[in-house]
Amino acid sequence: MNDGASPLLRAQGLSKYFPLESGMLASLRGARAAVKAVESVSLDVYAGQTLAIVGESGSGKSTLGRLLLRLMQPSAGHVQYKGENIFTMNRARLRAFRRQAQIILQDPYASLNPRMRVGRIIREPLDIYREGSVAEREKRVHALLERVGLTSAHGRAYPAELSGGQRQRVCIAAALALSPEIIIADEPTSSLDVSVQAQTLNLLSELQRDFNLTYVLITHDLGVVRHFSDRVAVMYLGKIVEEAPTATLFAAPQHPYTQVLFSAIPLPDPSRRINWELPTGEPPSPLDPPSGCHFHPRCPQALKSCSSVVPSLKATAPGRRVACLLYEDRNHLPPNAPSIVRTPSSNMDGRETS
Amino acid sequence: MSLLSVQNLRTEFFSGGRWLEAVSDVSFDLRRGEILGLVGESGCGKSTIAYSIMRLLASNARISAGDVWLEDVNLTEADEATLQGLRGSRLSMIFQDPMTALDSLFTVGHQVIETLQEHLGLNVAEAREHALALLRQVGIPAAEERLNAYPYQFSGGMSQRIALAIAISCHPQVLIADEPTTALDVTIQAQILHLIRRLLVKEQGTGVLLITHDLGVVAQVCDRVAVMYAGKIVEFSDVASIFNNPLHPYTQALLKSLPSQGIARGSLENIQGRVPSLMDWPTGCHFHPRCIHARAICREKTPPLRKAAEGQVVACVLYE
Repeated sequence: MNDGASPLLRAQGLSKYFPLESGMLASLRGARAAVKAVESVSLDVYAGQTLAIVGESGSGKSTLGRLLLRLMQPSAGHVQYKGENIFTMNRARLRAFRRQAQIILQDPYASLNPRMRVGRIIREPLDIYREGSVAEREKRVHALLERVGLTSAHGRAYPAELSGGQRQRVCIAAALALSPEIIIADEPTSSLDVSVQAQTLNLLSELQRDFNLTYVLITHDLGVVRHFSDRVAVMYLGKIVEEAPTATLFAAPQHPYTQVLFSAIPLPDPSRRINWELPTGEPPSPLDPPSGCHFHPRCPQALKSCSSVVPSLKATAPGRRVACLLYEDRNHLPPNAPSIVRTPSSNMDGRETS
Repeated sequence: MSLLSVQNLRTEFFSGGRWLEAVSDVSFDLRRGEILGLVGESGCGKSTIAYSIMRLLASNARISAGDVWLEDVNLTEADEATLQGLRGSRLSMIFQDPMTALDSLFTVGHQVIETLQEHLGLNVAEAREHALALLRQVGIPAAEERLNAYPYQFSGGMSQRIALAIAISCHPQVLIADEPTTALDVTIQAQILHLIRRLLVKEQGTGVLLITHDLGVVAQVCDRVAVMYAGKIVEFSDVASIFNNPLHPYTQALLKSLPSQGIARGSLENIQGRVPSLMDWPTGCHFHPRCIHARAICREKTPPLRKAAEGQVVACVLYE
């Protein structure tokens, strides 16, 4: 898939557990209960590409994003940036890493200081890293504002005076200030209206092209994923269940969860309505995930062994990984099990076509 | 006769010493057993229409013109006692955040049972029995136990199911659903939409006014669609026409800006400029400053909704 190029960012066996009830009762019980927000995640992010991490709420996708930037410590595993483990970096190395890796968050209202003028917000990273003279910084702020489609008048405004879309542009400008290599975008357009979302996505695309930026896009919006990403990792209850190039994944999702997820997307096309016989039930609580494959209680294709065997991510094709017994060696399968190789068909997602 | 008829509705907000129009001369009918989608971006007035119909406007808002008929009752003129009798029974509403609709200090069972007693005149035992049946109907597992749980113990999807169960229990003629699935994950969203369609629309013939910004949801469940822009309905059509043959330049632009519609990668078409605020709505057609087809007349004249094709009405001079 990437012709042996080494990844810019590589996560290996990355886990994050949040301990619960640290009180006396818990210590009496011996074992401390924990939410396994991220569990043994391994993935590679290649320079100049966009990797989308998708999943429903509670799947651990935002926690994973924060781990990739060392905004929290992992419970296990590590992340390498150009081969160097970011969790063992010293202060100076970490400082150098942080200027290369930036984050954009969902809520541009909450991520901007309401008492700072926009120009100051964008200048702050330059001040912290003592980039050039004050005059040069001001010039850079002006260029950044222009680059994201704002004017110097916006630079003199307070965040409250801007619309949601404009505020997200400010966040993008601030993230760009230090010319980073990689940006983690956590639901960057989820709080924006459709027309503003399109403007913002176009801007992010242009910036990627112009500066050869690498994106990790965390989102639940599969329309955005399809439009915007090169590869997709699908998460369910803390684990990656499937990873594939975007076009391949959308053409023929392999993991039953991915199939269910895709079949529930409300497409803006009344002639392709959802087949409403969807699996019932909700994602279980990450406090008490089911044994075996976490998806098995809701899985329409579950086998007997799915409640006991934890499937590991295995390659099913170059650049394509799935964690599902249906795609593992046939010994797990009963004689009448469904065929392992699924042929993509137009009616793959089981929609009624009219 | 339609179930609900909104005629020339005008709703205003008091701000900065003057009354600002939030809903401007809006008319539509809701039929029995249909889902009518009311779509538009934030600030276009779609929720204000809902609150105007329910007569639940904030104290700084007023209905300054128009009528809303629920069959033979004019809701804009009804007194509070009449409205109280209608709300929850003939006229029901569910919200984006189902948690706010439930009182956190009482068990879910208490709240469902109370509603049933109030509206259906049942005694506690009957109401409890009925509540259990309802919870099972909307897909709540272990219903018996869940009746004794508090709202905080429910997920967003589960709370929305409870809100639906309460709505369904009283056999409303009209359900106003204001972004009912916006806060939910897609798999749960599909389940909730399916429940609304099956239990209310199909089984009870309820007319649903579905307010949403999500064109995907509209395409999946609506029969007819009203597209709003800056306080006005700009296009009103059956669902197939809206998506296959959108007429108003705003509808066209909105559909083109959807990421899933476009070919993978490539630039999305977008609408230049931004949605105007209530403070400074443009003259004439409210969309003209952002419209690629705008002419001089668009700045002066407000185009009325006119029939442009079978089942399609549009407010645009291009079709006059």
